[in-house]
Amino acid sequence: MEALIQQYPWLDELLMGFIGLSWKHVVMWAVGALLIWLAAAKDYEPALLLPIGFGAILANIPHSSAISQIKGEEGFLFVLYNSGIGNELFPVLIFVAIGAMCDFAPLIRNPKVMLFAAAAQFGIFATAVAATFLGFSFEHAASIGIIGAADGPTTIYVASRFAVELLGPLSVAAYCYMSLVPVIQPPVIRAITSKAERQIKMGYENVEPVSQTTKFLFPIMITLIAGMVAPISVALIGSLMFGNLVKESGVTENLSACAENELANLVTLLLGITIGGTMEAERFLNIQVLLIMALGAVAFVFDTAGGVLFAKLMNLFSKTKINPMIGACGISAFPMSGRVIAKMALKEDPSNFIIQHAIGVNVAGQVASVVAGGLVLALIPALAKM
Amino acid sequence: MSATLKALTMMAIALPTMFAVILIFMAATTGLHKMFPAPPEEESGDDDDD
Repeated sequence: MEALIQQYPWLDELLMGFIGLSWKHVVMWAVGALLIWLAAAKDYEPALLLPIGFGAILANIPHSSAISQIKGEEGFLFVLYNSGIGNELFPVLIFVAIGAMCDFAPLIRNPKVMLFAAAAQFGIFATAVAATFLGFSFEHAASIGIIGAADGPTTIYVASRFAVELLGPLSVAAYCYMSLVPVIQPPVIRAITSKAERQIKMGYENVEPVSQTTKFLFPIMITLIAGMVAPISVALIGSLMFGNLVKESGVTENLSACAENELANLVTLLLGITIGGTMEAERFLNIQVLLIMALGAVAFVFDTAGGVLFAKLMNLFSKTKINPMIGACGISAFPMSGRVIAKMALKEDPSNFIIQHAIGVNVAGQVASVVAGGLVLALIPALAKM
Repeated sequence: MSATLKALTMMAIALPTMFAVILIFMAATTGLHKMFPAPPEEESGDDDDD
């Protein structure tokens, strides 16, 4: 073959794709196809897994021009990476869109639900410790733990700072497990609660309506407090709350609609395919990725258990009993987790409607996951120096 | 300091800080809600969007 190419140099140009092909590329095509199948056939986070799957295929065609880093011939995925992920722009824009979609009224009515959301971030830190036992560096372990925030943009934001080489697998793990909340959470909850606990009814007495002024001032107040505590989190919490302010102001309906729809769709499209573009075989096919996928599941289990056990702990001291299942909604997978728990409650007792409480905790999870992300962002560089 | 010790230190610092921040959020949110109560007819449609 080499002699043939020496005799006819143009053959090398024509056959470079076939000559450069290895089994690793083919395996990555299968991984890409699996993600596309999960998106298209199983409806698992299709808006993200489909572009990620196709991006993975584009990145694993030998000599792919899509990921070329040759000066003057940069591939579009490389350009998108530098302009949207390397500088953390895409995750921040996604947060603006999420903020515009969120209604914090259930949280404002009952601020206590924020405690469950704080407890449900336990998985982040427990998983980070577990990851170090498996040989990951501290920075990588902390970035893996963030999968437990159940918050894709925060995972990408932290990984792009402290674990760039793991960005692809971390993002895939975060979004896959977010879509698997209905599969992961119910068995964990059943394992640590009794039937009687799952049947606890929660009333809606003394629920005061929330004024528009309160909803309008809430995002400004949260940004100021979070920003003062962890200035490094301002980009994340600030963009989330900016989106919400645009929605609640009531005077920028066009901007709010744009953030919720066009911005969310456009950035999701670009974010997904760009992440897929980072999934080159050499980076992805190793034991570390398998460990990350396993640790991602561990993070979700710890999160769920953390929230539920905290609710059970509160029941020991509270006169009004809380259905401990709502503690599991403290993760950021919104509104899926709230709906899954509300359905579980109805399955246990068809007259038990806890959806309002569950959604309140779930909305609080949006805020708590960003606060947790901010703390991790602040603590990684400080502790890494020690 | 080993990676595990650093991760444990992060947990020991971050979890209590997290709860402290959340308690501040709770207090501030409660204050804000009390400061600007809704007139009885306000907040239409909040309960049907979940």
